[in-house]
Amino acid sequence: MLKHATKRILAFGVADTRLSANRILPRFYHERVVDHYNNPRNVGAFDKNDPNVGTGLVGAPACGDVMKLQIKVDEQTGKITDACFKTFGCGSAIASSSVATEWVKGKQTEEVLTIKNTEIAKHLSLPPVKLHCSMLAEDAIKAAVKDYETKRAKAVASTTDKAADA
Amino acid sequence: MWKIILRTSSSSSFSRKTLTHSISFQLIQQNITQYQNQPHFTTLCTFNSNERTRISTDPQFHFTRNSKLLGNGPGYCSAMSLDETSCCWNCKTQRPFLICESCGSVQPVDHSVDYFRIFGLEWKFDIEDGSLEGMYKNWQKKLHPDLVHTKSKEEREYAAEQSARVIDAYTTLRKPLSRAIYLMRLEGVEVDEEQTVSEPELLGEIMEIREAVEEAADSQALKKIQSQMEEKLRHWSNAFANAFGSKIFDEALKSIQRMTYYHRVNDEIVKKL
Repeated sequence: MLKHATKRILAFGVADTRLSANRILPRFYHERVVDHYNNPRNVGAFDKNDPNVGTGLVGAPACGDVMKLQIKVDEQTGKITDACFKTFGCGSAIASSSVATEWVKGKQTEEVLTIKNTEIAKHLSLPPVKLHCSMLAEDAIKAAVKDYETKRAKAVASTTDKAADA
Repeated sequence: MWKIILRTSSSSSFSRKTLTHSISFQLIQQNITQYQNQPHFTTLCTFNSNERTRISTDPQFHFTRNSKLLGNGPGYCSAMSLDETSCCWNCKTQRPFLICESCGSVQPVDHSVDYFRIFGLEWKFDIEDGSLEGMYKNWQKKLHPDLVHTKSKEEREYAAEQSARVIDAYTTLRKPLSRAIYLMRLEGVEVDEEQTVSEPELLGEIMEIREAVEEAADSQALKKIQSQMEEKLRHWSNAFANAFGSKIFDEALKSIQRMTYYHRVNDEIVKKL
């Protein structure tokens, strides 16, 4: 079972969060964060050396979090066919990266660069102190796309070299 | 019950037209009307800059009466500067440091005194093991709130704040990582939480270690990783000490980042054990 990213101890009341819309409750995780934690989606890893895979590895040194986000891109269409993540950090960081993998699926690589951390934070109702987790997710997406582009550029360069040699 | 004593003869105290005194004079007038049943009033105008804020926010302030003071009148603080606590608020004899030597009263917290100074240490990373505990216990013997149980409310508050500050200083300086971060802050370099890094080697290494921790079969494997982490922490602590000593703050910051990561791994291991 892919427990790595999800093994965290949270203090939360799931039943109470349903009422939290109207009441101000101290420091509960939002429903969606809890959901992503309990039902992790897209946890896993792709082969790093696969030419269609872009890997984004980012970290937040101040809190010691690491986040790895991988995308699988169809080279013909430039569309992201699959995505997975692995995050070691707090519940908000895990949920942010999980949401990021969900959102990038089925989109173009250029399009996902426009995903902003504020959108992720709003979707998860992250408190101000956890906003940097969504920032981390945004950076992970960008790093993954950049890695894929770099790989592609190298692959194109080497094929043109081969063609020139031949 | 607090007695408010006004010394009306001390008109000389009001000759110095400082803000503190003018405010206090107005407030004293208020109190005179409130407590008119008491025939004799004397004031102790023992204000220093820290007390000024207390007076302006709390209209019903209390004056403390100290038997040592009546009859003992060395005069007021010669220092006119409003931002320096130069004398003890109680006996006004000398510069106190957390607690006055001569009359033994706890002083209000002065935030310009940094944690290292409280323990008599220089601003450097390496400290000897026993140096903190001894000083800590000594301070608590003098500053602890339980000791000032019978004294004035102000002094009790000072004692609470001072001993809390000493405790903060002790916990910060005791752990190497928090000590390092505090040292950097003293030099004006803050560890920014928002910053993300993308160093593949460091992050890749940390990822592998964290995965190893997750997959570790038994406590022996975990302990092995733990000792590796401690080794790395030692190495990077030394690196920090060197970098900080040479004032190469970029290097120092990098060392702190690494230490934070290894520390997190250790925390995880401890949780699993």
